[in-house]
Amino acid sequence: MAEDRIVERKRVFAQYKQDVKERGKPFYPYAMFHDTVMSLVVVIVIVGLAAIWKFTTPGHHTGFGPHGSTDVPNQAGWLGKLYDQPADPGTISFVPRPDWYFYFLFQLLRIFKWPDSVILGTVGIPTICLVLLIALPFIDLRSERRPSRRPVAMVAAVLAVLSMGILTYRGATAKEALASEEVTHVPSWAATEKFTKNKEAVAGARLFAQLGCLNCHTYLGQGNHNLGAPDLSAEGAKNKGIAFQIAHLKCPQCVNPGSQMIPFADQPTKNLTALATFLEASKGGK
Amino acid sequence: MATRMSPQDRIMYPVDWLEERSGLIGAVRYFLFRRVPSDTNWFQTLGSATLTAFLVQATTGVILAMYYKPDPQEAYPSIVNITNDVFAGWLVRGMHRWGASVFIILMFLHMGRVFLFGAYKYPRELNWIIGVLLLALGLAEGFTGYLLPWDQTSYWATTVGININGSAPFLGPFIAQFLQGGTYINADTLSRFYAIHMLLIPGAIFALIGLHLYLVIRLGVTSPPWSKHPAGSGPTEPPPPAPPRTGLTRPAPRGGTIRG
Repeated sequence: MAEDRIVERKRVFAQYKQDVKERGKPFYPYAMFHDTVMSLVVVIVIVGLAAIWKFTTPGHHTGFGPHGSTDVPNQAGWLGKLYDQPADPGTISFVPRPDWYFYFLFQLLRIFKWPDSVILGTVGIPTICLVLLIALPFIDLRSERRPSRRPVAMVAAVLAVLSMGILTYRGATAKEALASEEVTHVPSWAATEKFTKNKEAVAGARLFAQLGCLNCHTYLGQGNHNLGAPDLSAEGAKNKGIAFQIAHLKCPQCVNPGSQMIPFADQPTKNLTALATFLEASKGGK
Repeated sequence: MATRMSPQDRIMYPVDWLEERSGLIGAVRYFLFRRVPSDTNWFQTLGSATLTAFLVQATTGVILAMYYKPDPQEAYPSIVNITNDVFAGWLVRGMHRWGASVFIILMFLHMGRVFLFGAYKYPRELNWIIGVLLLALGLAEGFTGYLLPWDQTSYWATTVGININGSAPFLGPFIAQFLQGGTYINADTLSRFYAIHMLLIPGAIFALIGLHLYLVIRLGVTSPPWSKHPAGSGPTEPPPPAPPRTGLTRPAPRGGTIRG
C-alpha cells in the first residue's frame, strides 16, 4: 500500500511538472505583477499604521524635523502610547502586558495556575502545537488537496483558529484584580487560615492586599502568578519567625541573596510587624 | 587577425562578463521566466507579501540600530530621541513597531493559505517545516524586540516571558539564566536581547528564507485545489476529435457549416 502511494505521488508530480511546462504561464510578468501589487499594499499599510500611531497621539505634530511632537509618555493615541514610563524594577503596581500576538500565551498563564500546572499551559501546549505543526505533512499523507474532501483537516484547522482567536480575545480583554477588590478576600483568608481572632494577622492581611504584594505573589489562589514569585499561602508553615520576616521585608536581598523582591523598608515598624504576623499565621489552612 | 566583436557583443560585454563568471544572469532569467500554473491567484501572493514585510523590518531595523543604545541608562532616552528628534525617526520606529505585527499576521495568513491548498503535501513537506521554523523565529523576534525600548511595558512583559522560559523542564532554567545574563533582568539582559534580536535570529531568518525560496522555485507552486484543471491533472482538453466527414451518407448537423 505504502509503495503504491509513493509510486502514485511520483507520477502525479511528474505530471504536474509536465502540465506546468505545457500550459503554465511565465512568472514574469503575470505572477510577479500580483506579487508587486500586494507588496506595495503591505508597505502602504505599514507606513499608514506608523502614521496613525504618531498623529493620533495628543500633542503638536510639526512634521519630520526635530521636536516633531511634544507628546508625553502617558498619552495614548488610537494605537497606544509611543512609549511608556521608563522601566522601573522597583515598581509594585505595574500589570505586565505582552504584544498582542502573545496574548494567547498570557491567557494560558491565567488558565493554568502557577506553579502546579503552569508548565503544561505555557510550555506543554505550545510545544505540542509546534511539534504537531512540524509533523503535519507526515501525519496527513493523502495526496487529496480539495478542502471539501479533507473534512478532518478542515475541522482541525477551524478549531485551531477558533481556540487561538478566543485565547487572544480573552487575553486582550482580561482585567487584573485591583487592590481594592483584593482586600475583600481578607475575611475568607482569615477563615481558611484560621487566624480570624488574631487582630494583628488580619491587619497584616489587609496591608498585604493593599500594598500590592499580590502583583507578584499568590495567596490562596489570588494574585499574579506570572512573575514567578513564591506562593505565600503556607509561608508560616516554614516557621521562620517574625524577626526573620521583618528583616526580609526590610531588605530581601540581605537575607536571601539574588532575590528580586523590592524592599519595604519605608513601611513603619507597626506595619512590618503586622505583615510578619500575617505571614507567620499563614500555615496553608491545614 | 583575430575575429572582432560585433557592436552588440561589445555593449553586452559587462553582462557577458558577469554571466561567464557567476552564472547569475542565467539564474535570474530562470527565476523570472520559469513557468507557474496558469491558475495561480491572489492568495499566492501572501508569501512574497510576508517577505516584503520582513525586508521592511530588516531595513528599518538597520536604521534604528544607528540611533539606539542597548544600555539600561541610555536605551529609553535613545528611543525618545528617535521618536521625537531624529529626522523621520518616528516613521522608521513606527514602521518597525507595526511592521512586526504585519509580518506576524502575514506569516499566519500565508500558513493558512498553504494549509487550505494542501500545499504542504508531497513533495513540499520540507518547505512546510522551514516555514514553521520561520514562524517560531518570527515570534522570537517579537519577544526579544519588545524589551528594547526599556520602558515599563517592555520590562515587565519580558520578566513574565523569561519566567515562562524558566518554568520549562530540564533546559528551562538554563535558558532563562542565559537570556537574562544573571538571576534577574539587568544590563546584560538588554545587550543579550539586542544581539539576539538584530544578529542571531535575523541571520537565521535570512538563511531559512533563502532555503524556503530555493525550494519554492525548485518544486513549483500548486494550483488552487478547486481549480477545474489543476496542474498535475493531465492535459486540459482531450485531443481534438477528427472532424466528422460530411457528405452523402452523413448529413451535416443542422445549423452547422460544412467544412472541407
